[in-house]
Amino acid sequence: MSDPKQAIMDQVRQQAALSNARALIEKVNEHCFERCVPKPGSSLSSAETTCYTYCMEKYMASWNTVSRQYLGHVQQGVQGQAAFGAF
Amino acid sequence: MDQAALDPQVVEGLKNLSAKDKQDLNTFIQAEGQKAQIQSTIHSLTDTCFRKCITSKISAGKLDRYEEPCMQSCVDRFMDANMVVIKHLEQMRSQ
Repeated sequence: MSDPKQAIMDQVRQQAALSNARALIEKVNEHCFERCVPKPGSSLSSAETTCYTYCMEKYMASWNTVSRQYLGHVQQGVQGQAAFGAF
Repeated sequence: MDQAALDPQVVEGLKNLSAKDKQDLNTFIQAEGQKAQIQSTIHSLTDTCFRKCITSKISAGKLDRYEEPCMQSCVDRFMDANMVVIKHLEQMRSQ
């Protein structure tokens, strides 16, 4: 049988990654549907599909920028006052 | 986070963990919880700031030269605003 400690850790990591991905997909769809499909037609047009691709990339780029910026604050907070990231 | 059914074998194995392994797991879970909290803040900040900063027609995948600094300032100002609230609450408490 595999190491129970390792098994738990793997499962926690996997769950965390899954819920992170799920949150991202949900947000991307929410924003991009709003922006790219203002008037839903009988099918997704090629313009809408292109917009969706750009929008997805843009949202993920935004996520990365926010992540970098926010982590900078959190790290500063840890040096000054502990756990400012936990609001 | 979603509820995950644990393998009964794993649960059984957990009972026989050494004190050190238990300590390790505790530290690990705590760190993962903190990570999840930070990630969820990043999600909600991205949501808010995307709404504020990405207002023109979406015609490229990259953030343009207005959007990128706007996203950065959005995070910075959000933190400032958050600080104002905390300071104000502290002030109210001491009155």
